[in-house]
Amino acid sequence: MKTEIRIPFGPQHPDLEEPINFMFEVEEEYVKKVSVRLGYIHRGIEKLAEERSFLKNIYLVERICGICSFAHSTCYVQAVEELLEIEVPRRARFIRTIIAEMERIQNHYLWLAFTAKAMGFDTLFMYSMRDRDHILKILELITGKRVNYGLNTIGGVRRDLPEELQPEIFSKLIYLKKRAKKYKELCESDPLIQKRTKNIGILKPKDARKLSAVGPTIRASGIDDDVRSIEKYAAYDEISFNVITYKGCDVFSRILVRIDEIPESAKIIENALHNMPDTPTQVKTPKEIPKGETVSKVEAPRGENLHFLKSNGTEKPERLKIRAPTLANLTALCKMLEGANIADIPVIIAGIDPCIACAERMIFLK
Amino acid sequence: MTIIKEVISNFLKKPVTLRFPYEKMQPVENSRGQPTWKIERCMGCNLCVNVCPSQAIELRGKGRESEIIYYQSKCLFCGECIDVCPTNAIHSISEYKTVFPEKDKMKKEYSRSKQNREIK
Amino acid sequence: MELKILLESVIALLELFLFPGFLFLIFFSFFIEWLDRKMVAKFQNRYGPLHVGPKGILQPFADILKLLSKEDITPESANEIPFKLTPLLLFSFALTPLFCIPIISNSALITFPTDLVIVIFLMSCIPVLSFIAAWVSTNRFSTIGGTRLALQMFGYEIPLVLALVSPTITTQTFSISKIVEWQMGNLWLFLIQPIGFAIAIICLLAHLQRLPFDMPEAETELVGGWLVEFSGKKLALIKLTKSLELTLAASLITSLYLGGPSFLVISHPVIYFLKIIVCVFIFANLKALFARFRIDQFLVGAWKYLIPLAILQIAMTQILS
Repeated sequence: MKTEIRIPFGPQHPDLEEPINFMFEVEEEYVKKVSVRLGYIHRGIEKLAEERSFLKNIYLVERICGICSFAHSTCYVQAVEELLEIEVPRRARFIRTIIAEMERIQNHYLWLAFTAKAMGFDTLFMYSMRDRDHILKILELITGKRVNYGLNTIGGVRRDLPEELQPEIFSKLIYLKKRAKKYKELCESDPLIQKRTKNIGILKPKDARKLSAVGPTIRASGIDDDVRSIEKYAAYDEISFNVITYKGCDVFSRILVRIDEIPESAKIIENALHNMPDTPTQVKTPKEIPKGETVSKVEAPRGENLHFLKSNGTEKPERLKIRAPTLANLTALCKMLEGANIADIPVIIAGIDPCIACAERMIFLK
Repeated sequence: MTIIKEVISNFLKKPVTLRFPYEKMQPVENSRGQPTWKIERCMGCNLCVNVCPSQAIELRGKGRESEIIYYQSKCLFCGECIDVCPTNAIHSISEYKTVFPEKDKMKKEYSRSKQNREIK
Repeated sequence: MELKILLESVIALLELFLFPGFLFLIFFSFFIEWLDRKMVAKFQNRYGPLHVGPKGILQPFADILKLLSKEDITPESANEIPFKLTPLLLFSFALTPLFCIPIISNSALITFPTDLVIVIFLMSCIPVLSFIAAWVSTNRFSTIGGTRLALQMFGYEIPLVLALVSPTITTQTFSISKIVEWQMGNLWLFLIQPIGFAIAIICLLAHLQRLPFDMPEAETELVGGWLVEFSGKKLALIKLTKSLELTLAASLITSLYLGGPSFLVISHPVIYFLKIIVCVFIFANLKALFARFRIDQFLVGAWKYLIPLAILQIAMTQILS
């Protein structure tokens, strides 16, 4: 006798931060089929962007997501600057790099806490959140706010990084590097974490390429695909860094990739602070943007972020299209969930770092 | 295991949480807060009204007789009006407690004739 | 003569209802739950309950009071009579064994020569009743939680009974009070049977459904597990049951392995309280250290490691005695 139960996961669930609906068909604790429904948090941002001027849109685009907000705003501002064909001063590009890497560190600590909670490990959740507070303090000292910084403007950045803040930044970075090393030791030596995450949520490299996964999800399958080293936007052409890959293809490798990226980001910040050039931080720009269309890409903490901008010569944009990294990872997630145990579902979903608020756009299916 | 030592040593340390409302965290020096106007310096140029992303400022009157109405419920605390004012009439204060019982009361008016009195 | 019998019966009734009877046991279980929450919070570098009463000591009492005032909903497709009866039965099955544990002196309120067997039987009925409660709720999440609970029973039941019964081989008696008396004259039993002590703690953690073995009510996977449909007064009784079970587990370990309320030649309730605090410290430490197991990994581990070790312990005890 076949016993198949259909379990709804979401839109309200203690494990998810944002509403999304998965419908699982389950037989004796193994998942047979999965189907996804989006649309619970659609806010109409692309339509709202067509009614505001280019400068006011920076504040709209920043608030798409609370955690990767600087990546969205950098991507949009780079698209506008490409249409205007101006050159951003070097000091502004270095400051953008520093803040983007700090946001990456902050996101990876939050993700570690979220995954530990999905596994039932409450202590690691509390410790990660305690350490994340240090980097939010530095961001508040530099930009004035803890989230949604408001630092980018067309033609540069609005605030300068004074020299007096540098000793405090260095000391906090040393503390954060030490904590990341301790968490890596914990994950490699704890037998229970390895039992819950090894060989779970496997994504082979061929499938990852075919289903277009991005970010640490694909870097844990052995493919080194990083927008920072391909496109070399902002100051990444003057600062060298390593792209981190692991070959495990499972959730354990994704944890290791993200924990290893924290000291790498700290090295980039220290490098940039030592070699900071002495130029102004902003150039003046006209209000009307010439006609044209362009695509700009940025490596957000979760993956590759893409903005398409089309302007028709007036003060307001004609079309802005945003493709967030979570939208690209969702099809890979459906492939990973087939054949999984029910108890592994929260761990697999947490492994791709979902941010549903970024991913809600209009999609046409045929 | 590495975590046993850490867990036991945390038993003897002081907890990290702040006991709000008995202990509060202070905002830093140049954090972005609410804007306030020095109404004697305002010359009614309308620049702050045009640049605000969420239309939270309203100007009534002309030139040296202008009055400013500032809607606290719409403000994003972005600081664009502070940067753009040509006479430095706006500066930010670090007051972060903005709780009101009714939405209609969430505005402040600045005008010269009533001697800089703020009506809430 | 009749006056003496009347006086004795009045004192017995007072002992049954006040100290160390119903009221004392319920408030004692509130205290133990507060202690457990505070210790786990200290391990995680935060405060626990803080505001209700001095240092938050009235927090579990406030939780039960809040639950008693909420609305009580019975789903339409649930079977009414078992649904309404199971929380009450759970509460009584958890409260009754506590009368057989010696608290004030070396003999408990109710003692008879085989009371350890009755205690183990009543403790084993609790997961069966929880499974019935889960089955009768007719909710997808509670069905999965209930089947996980039944599967978990297959894993821990045998080593738990073996670990709780191995003290009786050394002491040649099945009564908890006599075991405590035996420990007063000789060494404490956890020095003589350390493997049994460790297995008893692990299997009691699985019986209480605490981390790392709380699969039946995992919050992040199944929204509430087997108790997802209960609300109001029924949920208050279930939460009381959980506190009482924690007290029962700590009391069993204290009486069987740590010597109960006795120390060298004196036996006093204060010594019993101190030993209970040590047991709660061990339980809280294990809760803060680990992540959650998966149900099939737990079953494989239990049959591979726990059962052979328990049988080894019994064999060693037989050989040495």
